[in-house]
Amino acid sequence: MPKSTIISDEDFQKFREFFYRKTGMLFEDSKRYFVDKRLLERMTATGCESFRTYFTMLRFQASGAELQTLINAMTVNETYFFREEYQFRCLVDSILKEIITHHPASRPIRIWSVPSSSGEEPYGIAMYLLEHWPQLEHWDVEIISSDIDTRILEQARAGLYASRAIQHVPAPLLKKYFRRMGAQYQISQTLREAVEFTRVNVHDTADMRSHRHFDVIFCRNLLIYFDDLSRKKTAESFFDALNPGGFICLGHSESMSRISPLFQIRRFPEAIVYQKPLEAR
Amino acid sequence: MALKKGQPTPPSHSPGERQDARNLETLLQTLLDEDPSKRRWAARDLAEHPAATGALVSRLRRETDATVLQVIVTALGCLANDEAIRGLIDCLYSENAMLRNTAIEVLKELPDPVAPHMGELLHDADPDVRIFAVNVLESLRHPQVEAWLVEVILKDEHINVCATAVDLLGEVGGPQSRDALAALKQRFPEEPYIQFAADLALKRIGVE
Repeated sequence: MPKSTIISDEDFQKFREFFYRKTGMLFEDSKRYFVDKRLLERMTATGCESFRTYFTMLRFQASGAELQTLINAMTVNETYFFREEYQFRCLVDSILKEIITHHPASRPIRIWSVPSSSGEEPYGIAMYLLEHWPQLEHWDVEIISSDIDTRILEQARAGLYASRAIQHVPAPLLKKYFRRMGAQYQISQTLREAVEFTRVNVHDTADMRSHRHFDVIFCRNLLIYFDDLSRKKTAESFFDALNPGGFICLGHSESMSRISPLFQIRRFPEAIVYQKPLEAR
Repeated sequence: MALKKGQPTPPSHSPGERQDARNLETLLQTLLDEDPSKRRWAARDLAEHPAATGALVSRLRRETDATVLQVIVTALGCLANDEAIRGLIDCLYSENAMLRNTAIEVLKELPDPVAPHMGELLHDADPDVRIFAVNVLESLRHPQVEAWLVEVILKDEHINVCATAVDLLGEVGGPQSRDALAALKQRFPEEPYIQFAADLALKRIGVE
């Protein structure tokens, strides 16, 4: 390997600060090997012979395409049931507890999960509510889940999963909510009928305008893939999709504070989430 | 009570809301509505109407609701024509820090429309505006960024402007910045921060 393709400590520092500013993802020194490996892979793929050349492209490329590719390479994009489960605990132990203090009893509590991917998140929320939120006896809850990809929406509606997707589902819940179908598991009909799946392009104002009056939005690991302006525009649409006092939950590496000042930060014991002020209109 | 299948918009809520036509004329009227949520929606939809740029800039100057201001700034960023860019640049002179910072974040994303204005901004009489211009350069994907920063550290007489620029040069600077960094150290020999930041930038630029 030519000397110029080695990533020096100074290069790593420079990259780490830049990447943090752009994405909110901070790599500790212990991740050095992982980061170097991904960077060297991308340098090879783009024909850049030195870190400086690659970093200049990353930093100044007008389309931002390489930065996007690198973000994809640096993130683990895997969906499975109960991913980042602490947010579900936050939902039942903190968020809903607060919402029901001001929510009209005559109206259902509405939860929006976007992107739906193949349904693991919305079905996971439904299971979590049934298992861990006794107040469900007194409240109606609607779960809407959306994705831009119509094929993935069909998969979500079918609710069929490989064993990898259900690896974190406790055995009693697996028995209660899934049916074995050969090598796959199908989520119960009751849950499939409880979640409404819709197609939404979050960049499309008309699509977003048609989704409203939510109390909680789960939007995890989606905004990370947008450029800053699109991220801000989407966050502002979510603001209007929420009821006053509604909450939005982002992925663990995402921060609304870096996207838009419209929301208040709420630090609950289980998670940090973001709230549309109760007095907002 | 239980899990119930819902709809994207519950039919029971405010029948008829936001059912108005979304054409330019109606949206411009709605931009003046008393209800800030209606103004927000109008501003968002007007981002698709270049002819609305002037109205959005005008509203930006009078708008008092922070949430509407945010959406107008984003809408101007989406429009990104010269009138919109000038409207965003006007925000750099605002006393409203939230508005100013939002405008900076949006301008950072618009390298080509912002570039023609950068020279003027970096020579503004107000050093705070020059610092904000350097803040815009922080993430501006434009090949001139290093040259603009070098010019700042060579010529700007305000230490805070130079300090902001030298911090950034540590990240984006190449070998062509070395002489300017050395010259900066000589221009501010008694300023420990400049000495430290210029040395750090030189170290990061390294030897090739």
